[in-house]
Amino acid sequence: MTFCGSAVASLREVQESFAASLRDPAVTCAVLPPANLAIYRNNANHALREALAITYPVVRRRVGEDYFRQLATHYRLRYPSRSGDLHGYGRDFAAFLDQHLDDGDYRWLADLAQLEWSHAECSVAAECPAIAANALAKYPPEQLGQLVFRTQPSLRLHSFPFPIFTVWETNQLENAPPVDQSLGQEAGMVLSRHDGVEVRRLEAGLFSFLSALAGGATLGDAMTNADLDAPALTDALAFMFREGLVCSLSGGS
Amino acid sequence: MTHLDRGVVQGPVPARAGIGLRSVHHEALLADRPAVGFIEAHTENYFHEGGAAVRALLRARANYPLSLHGVGLGLGSVDGVDREHLGRVKQAIARFEPALVSEHACWGRARGEHFNDLLPLPCTEEAARLLARQVGEAQDFLGRQLLIENVSAYVAFEHSPLPEWEFLAEVVALSGCALLLDVNNIFVNAQNLGIDARAYIAGLPAGSVREFHVAGHARNGNVLIDDHGSRVCDEVWELLRLAVARFGPLPTLVEWDNDIPSLATLVAESRHADDILRERRGLAA
Repeated sequence: MTFCGSAVASLREVQESFAASLRDPAVTCAVLPPANLAIYRNNANHALREALAITYPVVRRRVGEDYFRQLATHYRLRYPSRSGDLHGYGRDFAAFLDQHLDDGDYRWLADLAQLEWSHAECSVAAECPAIAANALAKYPPEQLGQLVFRTQPSLRLHSFPFPIFTVWETNQLENAPPVDQSLGQEAGMVLSRHDGVEVRRLEAGLFSFLSALAGGATLGDAMTNADLDAPALTDALAFMFREGLVCSLSGGS
Repeated sequence: MTHLDRGVVQGPVPARAGIGLRSVHHEALLADRPAVGFIEAHTENYFHEGGAAVRALLRARANYPLSLHGVGLGLGSVDGVDREHLGRVKQAIARFEPALVSEHACWGRARGEHFNDLLPLPCTEEAARLLARQVGEAQDFLGRQLLIENVSAYVAFEHSPLPEWEFLAEVVALSGCALLLDVNNIFVNAQNLGIDARAYIAGLPAGSVREFHVAGHARNGNVLIDDHGSRVCDEVWELLRLAVARFGPLPTLVEWDNDIPSLATLVAESRHADDILRERRGLAA
């Protein structure tokens, strides 16, 4: 795009030319002298990189500052910002890492990013008042199997083929040693709490049970799905109510 | 949605110095309750249902008048007003009941891509009319007047025939908005674009300004960068004196967003602004 001679560019032409040279330093801006345009380019890069760094502190710690900067640059090209509110900017980082690192050894970084995105979502999510276990008492035993649980809206459940919860926990401090990936798969939850965000590993049976209930299954189906015996079911229900995960019950008559 | 449950400081923002609400100060601000005239919060940080920032602001509202300061609408973008973003601004206004709501005389996106920066507009008739129309559209939707802030610029457009103050005066006249006059941005633009800071202040319509901002800036070669990362310099305090002389004592925010100091240091810096506002009140008395 060029504007020659005395022709005056329209405001649309001005903004599109400015935008094109912000996206790509090789594009000369037709309406602005090149001096100082780099300041705007740096500002935009810095703001977006900082937004990613705030959302993904553990990914950044694991890959180091230099590689994180490279990832941020590639991410921006692939997923430009679509909002004037930067809080949602990192939404696609896990998907991006999954594509970008598909050669194997570092694929777990995409899972780590997924966990950190859940953490970011939970850090700004509302809590609903939880109900106590005695809410179950008003249902006759034969109806319990039909109950549907509404769980905390912020509750995020993840199961990963890598020990991502351990990676997340050990890397809350700088200079943590690498986690032995042969530890294998891990499952757990992320939840908004009044005083912060809780990230917690869960045992496989409890995880399956919670996932089924949070997905809208009846209590009976969730129990079958998770293959829980009666004592394990009692423990799982006690856990849910004790941890304030249940907002309401429905489905019984 | 959690509503204000501890009472809210109502009424206008007083003509005193205020400070920006930043997450590193939440705890100290709520515990120490420093005597500042108001707090200003970046609107986009309070778009969410819950979280520590929202809880801190809800609590702080019991003690301080509030100004909500937006950085993401870019009302000068030729692609139009971002109605989704504007809707969230409206929700934040309903929830936090600010006395002042402000945005910037800038643009920020093109063809769906946001640059998340306050990009300058050329000072042309076309840009003034477009900005005024979209400020008007936003004011109609929000049901209240907006304050529009002058932004810093690091580049001079090849075609920008109006003085910046005439450009802003036209936006005020056409849209019915008020101005948030950032005195540091005038100083920065005076250096970067070679404009006359005193003529700028003298050239704006007398009743058009409702709030001042002051901040620190950084120097990068010949360019001043509006980085809000240090103390306010003497020249900017002097420009604030001129602005107060022309527009009267108004709510004045000390912005400090990078290398954020302790709350005590920030409050001490705001005392300096209070002194300047008081000098003027002393003269008027």
